[in-house]
Amino acid sequence: MFKTKFSKQSIAASLLLLLCAAFSSFAQNTATLSITGEVTTPLELKLADLASFKQVSHKVKDRDGKEHEFSGVALIEILEKAGVTTGSKLRGENLAKYLLISAADGYEVLYSLAEIDPDFTDQVILLATTKDGQPLANGEGPFRIITPNDKKPARWIREVRSIKVAFAKI
Amino acid sequence: MRKLLRTVLKDRSGWFKISMVCAVFICCGLIQSFQVDNQETYVLQYPANFGARFVIPADNPTTKDGVYLGRLLFYEKALSAKNNISCESCHQQKLAFTDGKAFSTGTDGSLTARNSMSLANLLWVRNFFWDGRSPGLEDQARFPLTDPHEMGQPLSESAKKINNTALYPPLFKKAFGSTVITEGQILKALSQFERTLISAGSNYDGYLAGNYKPTAQELRGLQLFESGPDPKNGVRGANCGHCHGGVKTFKELFHNNGLDSLVTDMGREQFTGQSTDRARFRVPTLRNIMLTAPYMHDGRFSTIEQVLDHYNEHIRQSPTLSSFLQDISNEIGGKNLALTRGEKADLIAFLGMLTDSSFISNPAFSNPHPVLNP
Ligand code: HEC
Ligand code: HEC
Repeated sequence: MFKTKFSKQSIAASLLLLLCAAFSSFAQNTATLSITGEVTTPLELKLADLASFKQVSHKVKDRDGKEHEFSGVALIEILEKAGVTTGSKLRGENLAKYLLISAADGYEVLYSLAEIDPDFTDQVILLATTKDGQPLANGEGPFRIITPNDKKPARWIREVRSIKVAFAKI
Repeated sequence: MRKLLRTVLKDRSGWFKISMVCAVFICCGLIQSFQVDNQETYVLQYPANFGARFVIPADNPTTKDGVYLGRLLFYEKALSAKNNISCESCHQQKLAFTDGKAFSTGTDGSLTARNSMSLANLLWVRNFFWDGRSPGLEDQARFPLTDPHEMGQPLSESAKKINNTALYPPLFKKAFGSTVITEGQILKALSQFERTLISAGSNYDGYLAGNYKPTAQELRGLQLFESGPDPKNGVRGANCGHCHGGVKTFKELFHNNGLDSLVTDMGREQFTGQSTDRARFRVPTLRNIMLTAPYMHDGRFSTIEQVLDHYNEHIRQSPTLSSFLQDISNEIGGKNLALTRGEKADLIAFLGMLTDSSFISNPAFSNPHPVLNP
């Protein structure tokens, strides 16, 4: 009696799991990341589009206190692809530019453009797509920012959906 | 005047005529903007810790005349197809601008698809409705005015009806400087009034300002509300602040808070088209929460106790369930939040601190129309 009930439950549970897994990979492949604002070429990127960029990785301690290897693309490369004023163009009024990065749940963080540019810093800020070799999970991916030198990971924003480049206007 | 214009325009070249006409228009425009610029500004007052992260459209500054007009319109039944309901029908001041019902009844007697929302501190909201589909108050007001389950009347019809009253044309002239009432002006006036609905006079605000001493139970509730559970280090918490926190008890976030495994209302997905947004809804303000039952987008919980039982014991798994509600417990390896009955009571005591009696009794927000049979 108990046995049959138990197996029915486990079937239901595994079905749900299967559904979740299928959903997760489907959702990850269709999710997009937009780069807009002060750019010459606005971008709408899918996970597959990032394969053509150079892959970079960082081993860092996450919120859970454990070390993980995050891989993806240097954020600066994506900005360059969109035609943001980086490198030799990052001077004068362009130093008053910032990135407003928004997540699917509405969470937002801000970086100044100079914080990301290799002429200004050795830190490579990552747009991560995998963690320990696995695609980032639902609620974390498909895109997440990793900023190794930030002691507190509050700007390691998950589920990144849009990056807006703008001038500070006040 | 017409005669003069005709003589001036007669026998002149086309360019001259055009520039004369333009000049007249520009003069009219100047007069109009002069009238509006001359308006007395309504000063929005709020505590400094609320911050000023809000945008008021440049073409709809908040003025005393505009706010008063918006207030009249908020309580105006002529804006509904059958002249039987106003915004107030679903947004009553004494209930912090909700209506106490799971679903509300529209002008034709049909029910709305979702639970009516409290209208408090809208100044700081950037994406309106449970699914965040509307980007501003001026845009938002179109929905209730025209939706068949709400007031069900085309805006053009509303403007016509209002134009034909004795009351409104002079008030629109005062507020917007033109004699013809337009659809846009109705939306603008309503929005101006709604921006003034600021709730910042609760005991919680008093506590933050150092003017109110919470009871021991309220303080315990506040502590639980703000803290994430960390049983290894002996920290007990309910983690509510992660989504509902901050001095406004409102951060504009969208989450699936585990109401169902299989959903009927797609929530934010309906608007964004992204499947990762399934059953995500805007995290609503908890201001005046003890007055705004029933709770959630479908009004499924009639008491605050049921809400706490939900977060404590009945979170439903689904692919889009918020990660903030997974694997958190006050017991090591626990399957749910595992709050005690006493802790739930503490949380409710804290939520009671968010009731703002000055907000629900503020005469500036009440029905300004003379009530004949009170
Ligand atoms: C028949 C009931 C009904 C009437 C009448 C009504 N509303 Fe609503 N209101 C609702 C419901 C239901 C929602 C939530 C709808 C949704 O999310 O899809 C809502 C949501 C809102 C919101 C969004 C609040 C937020 O925080 O996002 C605003 C603002 C609002 N109403 C203003 C008004 C105004 C102004 C009027 C009059 C022009 C009005 N309502 C008339 C039922 C009503
Ligand atoms: C993951 C983010 C999250 C956390 C954590 C969270 N909530 Fe919520 N809360 C929501 C969302 C989203 C809604 C609206 C859900 C809906 O209607 O579908 C909501 C709705 C509510 C409502 C109903 C509001 C209304 O106007 O109907 C109450 C009350 C509430 N939460 C209290 C709490 C309390 C108390 C806690 C802590 C035990 C808590 N919440 C933790 C996201 C969260």
